[in-house]
Amino acid sequence: MSSSFAAGDESVFERLQQRADPKVLEEQQNAVNERMQAIYQKAQSRLAELIDENSTLPCTISSVQVTSAPHTRRSFLERSLSPLLSENKGRPYTLSEALREVSATADKLGRFDLFHQPISVYLDESQGHNGMRNIDVYLATREKSRVLLKTGTDLGNAEGSAYGNLLWRNVFGGAETLNLNASLGTRTRSAYQAAFETPILGDPDFRLEVGGIASSTQKSWASHEEVVKGGWSKLRWISKSGHRHELGYNGFWRQLTGLAESASPTVRADAGDSVKSSIFHSWVNDQRDNALLPSRGYYAKAFNEVAGIGPLKGDVSFWKSEIETQGAIPIPVPGIKGDSGVSFTTGFRAGLLYPLGLDSNSRPQLSRVNDRFLLGGPTDVRGFRLCGLGPREGADSLGGDVYAAGSANLLFPLPRLGAEKPVRFQAFLNGGRLLPLRTSQKATPTTNGEVQDAMISTLSELQNGLPSIAAGFGIVYAHPVARFELNFSLPLVLRKGEEGRKGLQLGIGINFL
Amino acid sequence: MPPKGQEGDSSASTDSNSNSFFTVPAPIKRLFDKFPLTTYPANELPQRFQPNTANQLFVFTDARGARHGRPSFNPQCLKWQAYLKFVGIDFDITASNNHASPTGALPFLLPALPADTLNPIPSHKLQKWAIEQVHCEEEQQLNLRFEVYASLLDHRIRHAWLYMLYLDSENFDAVARRLYVEPATTNTVVRAALSHQLQQAARDELLKNSRYIDAADLEGDAGGAFEALSTLLGEDEHFFSRPNPGLFDASVFAYTHLILDDTLGWKKNRLAQLLREHPNLVQHRDRLLKFF
Repeated sequence: MSSSFAAGDESVFERLQQRADPKVLEEQQNAVNERMQAIYQKAQSRLAELIDENSTLPCTISSVQVTSAPHTRRSFLERSLSPLLSENKGRPYTLSEALREVSATADKLGRFDLFHQPISVYLDESQGHNGMRNIDVYLATREKSRVLLKTGTDLGNAEGSAYGNLLWRNVFGGAETLNLNASLGTRTRSAYQAAFETPILGDPDFRLEVGGIASSTQKSWASHEEVVKGGWSKLRWISKSGHRHELGYNGFWRQLTGLAESASPTVRADAGDSVKSSIFHSWVNDQRDNALLPSRGYYAKAFNEVAGIGPLKGDVSFWKSEIETQGAIPIPVPGIKGDSGVSFTTGFRAGLLYPLGLDSNSRPQLSRVNDRFLLGGPTDVRGFRLCGLGPREGADSLGGDVYAAGSANLLFPLPRLGAEKPVRFQAFLNGGRLLPLRTSQKATPTTNGEVQDAMISTLSELQNGLPSIAAGFGIVYAHPVARFELNFSLPLVLRKGEEGRKGLQLGIGINFL
Repeated sequence: MPPKGQEGDSSASTDSNSNSFFTVPAPIKRLFDKFPLTTYPANELPQRFQPNTANQLFVFTDARGARHGRPSFNPQCLKWQAYLKFVGIDFDITASNNHASPTGALPFLLPALPADTLNPIPSHKLQKWAIEQVHCEEEQQLNLRFEVYASLLDHRIRHAWLYMLYLDSENFDAVARRLYVEPATTNTVVRAALSHQLQQAARDELLKNSRYIDAADLEGDAGGAFEALSTLLGEDEHFFSRPNPGLFDASVFAYTHLILDDTLGWKKNRLAQLLREHPNLVQHRDRLLKFF
């Protein structure tokens, strides 16, 4: 015994001096983790069992308490929470039903953007009358700060600006928000915006927004400055299947002014005042896994706007319709388990502007430069300068009444960073066309009949020859707030006068083709 | 349309690498110059208005006035419109507004030549341009009194005109609103805003010269100015005894015609009463109106 002790004596010191074997350490750590996992799972399954056993247990919810909401109106909370109470339900819950409803209500409350996430739910049991189990619900809330003031500077697509933003949450205690925004910049000379938003009928997915704007924007691609004053109101709602809708009215006074010395005759002819009074609807179905760097899923948007007809009045009259789609599929690479990070995305956009008659005047109002579509630039058809596609007069991009554009992008993860990092190498091919409304005789339409003919012949002109195309490659980085792209591109097909871009191009935005 | 092949190096598309951080090696540049591979003919242009190939003078007028070349209802525009007519330059007039002008004020002229020029001629360079075109004389150099009398028009008569047109509310509603505000937009709110801006601009202009606005003073000054002009003209056909009307005649005509033009629908027109006291000025206006 003693000998063995003596023998072990040295080895104890030796062993202490020895570095712990990393393998052993790892094993130990794994064992601990497994143990913890097992305990946790056991607890979970015990809880599940417990709930499961009692899932059909009848119970009532007699009270719901929000622990802290000093700035929120009682009537507002009552409206959103009262459906939970059994007395408003007419019949008792089963336990599982009650738990589901409670969590749905907590989730709904969270979507008002009033409270810090997550909202913890506590349940307490009390003896109810008629012998049923009675649940008291406590929602542990913490209100977000009511006023949020942000100032900063932005550097975007060839634009620098400074901004101040004031967000006032819960203005009247009913989850209303007021958003005031002021910015001064190089391209958007100045912009002041105010928007008031309120949920309707206590539903966070159904909101009314009313806003106003006064801005002045340098539109150097068409040698002028546009001063806009006006307002809008819109209803926004999310359907059960997650489709986002907006329906609203716009009233804007636009002033095309500050023309450059060499402004084109078309821009000169459009200079001055015009009022756009329109109703619009937009529908968005976003099923992408990541909006800025999708690897699977699809996105679809449709926008329609009618201006000037009937009671809308105003100085411009048209129907404007636009669609936008994007699709992404992951590409499996043999030998890599799970997501390889390689993906293929495609985008397609198209739009048309159909001139209508104003008031009783049946003569169609042809489009103005500030209503027409623009195409080209680092965030839509890459490899072209900003608004570099479509009709040009002198140095001015006049825009077009019909357009279509598409892109195909292949994205690869970078070797060292791997697929988890939001950085990709991309190769792309994209192109599009932007056309003015012309009759089959290449004339400007003057009557409704001619407009119809012109729309048909302009749409078929889209397929005349190849579209204007550019191809290239570059790096994509999806920062949480915006997507950055640095591409090298070369134009392959152009129309004379269109401005391709050979070389590097930086794109910053949230909505890329 | 068949592609036109490699005529790709149109000036617009070869301006990459413009920031000269580095020079592109020759082989790469040759490669770049191959792009775009195909260039089609240019897109057509969207046009709300028919393009015009004549000299185009952009003035305040309505569609009918533009078609028939009637006198503009704005004195500054009418002055140059009349002058170009007097010296015998062919031009069309186009209805426009101040926003379209490179200087922020009408008139301006888009010359027919050189073809495809985009650079307009603002009003203060119109006389020089006209002299180059038709080699007429520069009247200011011929007569020293030109500037003195011109200042009567630019100050006394103009101020009384501003008051009568913009600040007399009856005239404003009957004349200025109809001519300047209503064509800009159909929206009543925007019309109200534009009306306010116009009246405020006139008020500011008058307050630049005096601390308060007194209608009787302004009318008295204008009356004096008419008197002086009438004496200057005397029994002559044109000012400064010229055989043909010139810039000074155009400047006087721009006001006298509009003051005497009953088709504008004046509600109160004290300036016309003052002007009619000088029959030679009225006859001068009637003579020059025959140019239109």
